[in-house]
Amino acid sequence: MLSEILIIVVRGIAIGSIFAMIAMSFNIVHGATGILNFAQGNMLVLGAFGAFFLANGAALGIWLPMLLVTGVIIAAVLAFQGWLTLIPLRSSVQQDSWIISTVAVSVIVGALIMIYQGPFAYNVKGPAPYFRVLGVRTPGAYGLAIGCMLFWFFAMRFFSRKTFIGLAISALSQDFDAARAAGLPVRRLQLIAFAISGLMIGTAGFLVAPVISVSADAGLRYVLNGFVAAVVGGIGSNLGTLIGGPLVGVVAMLTAYKIGGAYQDLASLLVLVGILMLRPQGLFGRTSARRV
Amino acid sequence: MQTPADASPASGKPRFNSDLSQVWIGIALIAITGFGPSLIGNSYWVHTFQLVNIYIAVSIFQNFLFVDAGQKSFGQGVILGLGAYVTAIFFGLHEYTFLVAAMFGLLAATLGGLLFALPALRVQYFHLGFVTLSAAIVFPQLLMSLDSWTNGINGILVKLPWWHEEWVFGLSPLTIAVALYPMLALGIHYGIRRSRLGRQMRVAAVSPEAARTLGIKPGVMRFLAFIIAAIGTGIAGILFLPTVGFVSPQGFNVELSFVFFFAVVVGGRGQMLGPIIGIWIVFILPNIALAAFVEYRLLIYGVLTLATVMLFPDGIVGSVERWRLKRGVSGRGEQSFRIDAFLEELKGKDGFEPTDEIAIELKGATKRFGAVVAVDHVDLKVRKGEIHGLIGANGSGKTSLLNVLSGLSRVNDGAFFINGRDATRLSADRIANLGLGRTFQTPRIFPMFSLWDNLKVGEDARTGKASPEIHALSKALEAEFAQDNAELLSHGQRRLAEVMRSMLKEAEIVLFDEPAAGLSSSERKNFAKLVRFLSRQLGKTVIIVEHDLDLVWNVADTITVMEQGAIVAAGDPQTIAHDPAVQHMFVGGRGA
Repeated sequence: MLSEILIIVVRGIAIGSIFAMIAMSFNIVHGATGILNFAQGNMLVLGAFGAFFLANGAALGIWLPMLLVTGVIIAAVLAFQGWLTLIPLRSSVQQDSWIISTVAVSVIVGALIMIYQGPFAYNVKGPAPYFRVLGVRTPGAYGLAIGCMLFWFFAMRFFSRKTFIGLAISALSQDFDAARAAGLPVRRLQLIAFAISGLMIGTAGFLVAPVISVSADAGLRYVLNGFVAAVVGGIGSNLGTLIGGPLVGVVAMLTAYKIGGAYQDLASLLVLVGILMLRPQGLFGRTSARRV
Repeated sequence: MQTPADASPASGKPRFNSDLSQVWIGIALIAITGFGPSLIGNSYWVHTFQLVNIYIAVSIFQNFLFVDAGQKSFGQGVILGLGAYVTAIFFGLHEYTFLVAAMFGLLAATLGGLLFALPALRVQYFHLGFVTLSAAIVFPQLLMSLDSWTNGINGILVKLPWWHEEWVFGLSPLTIAVALYPMLALGIHYGIRRSRLGRQMRVAAVSPEAARTLGIKPGVMRFLAFIIAAIGTGIAGILFLPTVGFVSPQGFNVELSFVFFFAVVVGGRGQMLGPIIGIWIVFILPNIALAAFVEYRLLIYGVLTLATVMLFPDGIVGSVERWRLKRGVSGRGEQSFRIDAFLEELKGKDGFEPTDEIAIELKGATKRFGAVVAVDHVDLKVRKGEIHGLIGANGSGKTSLLNVLSGLSRVNDGAFFINGRDATRLSADRIANLGLGRTFQTPRIFPMFSLWDNLKVGEDARTGKASPEIHALSKALEAEFAQDNAELLSHGQRRLAEVMRSMLKEAEIVLFDEPAAGLSSSERKNFAKLVRFLSRQLGKTVIIVEHDLDLVWNVADTITVMEQGAIVAAGDPQTIAHDPAVQHMFVGGRGA
C-alpha cells in the first residue's frame, strides 16, 4: 500500500517534471512573443530522437556531448520555426495566425515521424542506472527528469535576472511597445527566446527519452499536459510550473494506477477545465493592469 | 486624381460584402456535386460526395465558430463523432428507432458543445484551443476503453437500407438529405451573420471590451456560438451514420478535427464559400486525387495549411475576395465620412441646459493596481446634461476613472451611482444597458463590417425604442454608407464614426477618452460642434477626457482636474483657469 503511494508520487513527480519543462519552455516564448507553441510536444519527441540516433546505450563520454548537440539542433529547429511563425505577424492585422501555424507545424512534424518510423515507439537506453527511493526501484531517467527541471528553473532565473539578454526579454514581456521604443532589437530577442526554449525542450527530450513514448502521436499528448501544467501554475510563472507540473504528473499516475492508463489524458483535461473555470489565472498568475 | 466617374459612390459601387453571392455559388456547387453523380449514375462519386458534403456542413459551422465568434476549436470532429456514435449505439446496439436514436445523438453532440462552451464563459483565446484539442485526443481513447457501451475497437455496423433506396432520377433520400443539409447550413450561417446576434457575436470576437461597453456579454456570445455549432455539427453526425454505415474509434481521431479546421483556413477564414473550397482541397486532394500517397495525407494537410498562413493568409476565397475589393474600391477622401449634413437634418429640440439632477456620482472611489493607486478616493458629481471635462497629466488616472465608470474595471473601495442607482458592482454590459456609451483612445472600427454596419452595432445596443429623429438619421446613414469600407477612413473619421455609433445607441451618458488626439484642427472644430450638439440639442450628458485644453475650455460646463489619481480642483472653466493647483498646466500660456 505504502509502496504503491510512493510509486505514484515518485513517478508522478518525475513525469510531471517533464510537463513542467514543457511549461517553462512555453513561458519564455510566451513572454517574448505572446505565442504558445503547439508544436512543443513534438520538439520534445525530436529531442528524444536525438538520444535514440546519437547516443542509444552509449557511454557517458559520448552521451554527454550528444546531449549538447541535440540541444543545439532543436534550438536551431525552434529558432527556424519561430522565424516562420513571426513572418505573418509583422504586417497582418490578424495577430493570432500563430495558433494555426504552430498547430500546422505540429501536424507536419508528427506526420514526418509517422512516415519515417510508422506507428511504433522506439526504446532508448540511457546511461543513468536504476536507483532506489525508500526501497522503490526507479529508472534513472526519472531522476534526470527532476534534475533537469530544477537545473532549467535555476538557469532561467539566473538568465532572466542577471544577463542583459535575459533582462531584455523580460522587458518584452512587460511592455512590448516600450521595449521597441527603447531600441531593443525585438525580433532578434524573440528568436533568441525561441532558441532557448528549443535548448530547454531538446535537452529535456534527450534526457527523458528512456521513459517517454518516442512515437508520432506522443507529441500532442505531451504538449497538452505541459499546457495544463502551465495553466495550473499560471502562464508566465516558472515557479508555478514547479508546482503545476508535478501536480499534473501525480494526477496522471494516480489515474493510471486506480482507474486505468487509458484515462490519463481525460484526467488532465478535467484538471484543465476545472482550473479554467475556478481560477483561470492559475496558482501564481498575475492579473494585468491596463487593457484599454 | 480620380475622375468623378470612378469615385461616384451611388451607382456601380461594388458591394462591400459578397456573402450573399457566395452563398448562391456555394449552393450551386453543392447541388452539382451532390445531385450530379446520381443523375449520371456514377456510384463511386455519389458516395464520395455524400461524405464530402457532410464534411462541408461541419466546416461551415467550424467557419462560423472560428470567425464569427472568434473561437478556435480543434475539437469539432468530437462533436461530429458524438452525434454519429451515440446514434449508432442506440440504433445499432439497442434497437431504438432511427429517429429516437438520432435524438439521443443530437443531445449528446449538444452536451459535447456545452462542455466546450463552459470554459468559454470564463476564458478565451488559446485556452480553448488546448481544451478542444485535448478533447479531440481523449475522445477516441474513451471510445476504445468504454467498450461495454461502444463495442470498443470493433466499432458498430448499422444497416439503413431505406436511406439508400433510389427514388427518382437515381436519387436516394440520403443523397438528397446530405446535399440539402450543407445548403441549409450555409443559409443558417448567412442568416445569423445578418442578424443582430451575429453582429454582436462578431464585435465580441474582435474586441471583447468594446463589446461589453455596447451591452454585449462576450462569454454568453462564445457560449451560444459553441452550442449553435454543436447542434449543426451533431446533425451532420447523424447523417454520417447512414452515409458510412459504420463507426469506429479510429474514424474520429484528432486528424478528423484537423481536417475541418484546416479546411476553413485554406478555403478562406470567414468567407461563406471557404469551407466548400477548403474541404475540396484539404480532403479530396490527398484522399482521392492522391490516393496512392494516402499515408502522406497528414503531411499534406499540414503543409497546405502552413503554406496558406505564410503565403496568402486570407485563404483561397479570401484572396479572390480581397482582389475584388481592391479593384473596386475607391477612397472617397474627405467625403468618406462627414456628419455635418446629417446633423443639420437632425435638428433636435433646441435649448437643453445642464440640470441640477445628478447623472453620475462617485463616492470615495479608489482603484489600485498592486502598489499603484490609479484612482485615489475620488468624489465626483456630474450633472445631467452637462459637458464635463476631465483633465490632468498622463498617468493621473483619467482613463482608469473612465474604465471604472464604464465597468471595465472595478473600484477596490468606494461606490458610484448612475442616475441614483448603485453601479459599483455592475458589469460593463449592465452599465451599458443603463444608458452609458463610450469611445476609446484608439477607435474601435471593425474591418469586417461595412461602414454602415459599424454604426449599426450602436443601434443594436439600444435598449429602448428609437426616437423618430434617430430613426430617420439611421435610415439616411444606411442609404449613404451601406457599401463603404470602414478601413479606408482616416483617424478623425473613425473617431466620428465611433461617436455616431454611441448616438445611434442613444446613450444618455457618453464618455470620450481623448477624442481629439490625432485630429486635424478642422476636425477638432467639427468635434467640438458635435459635443455641443449632443449636449444642447439632444440633452446628453458628456464626460470628456482630453489633453487639448483649448478644446476643453471651449466646450465644458464643468472641469475637474486630476493629479496622481486624486482630484485637485473642480469647478467652472473661469474659476479653474485661475486656480493655483492648475496654473502649472498652462506653462507657456494657454494654447501654446
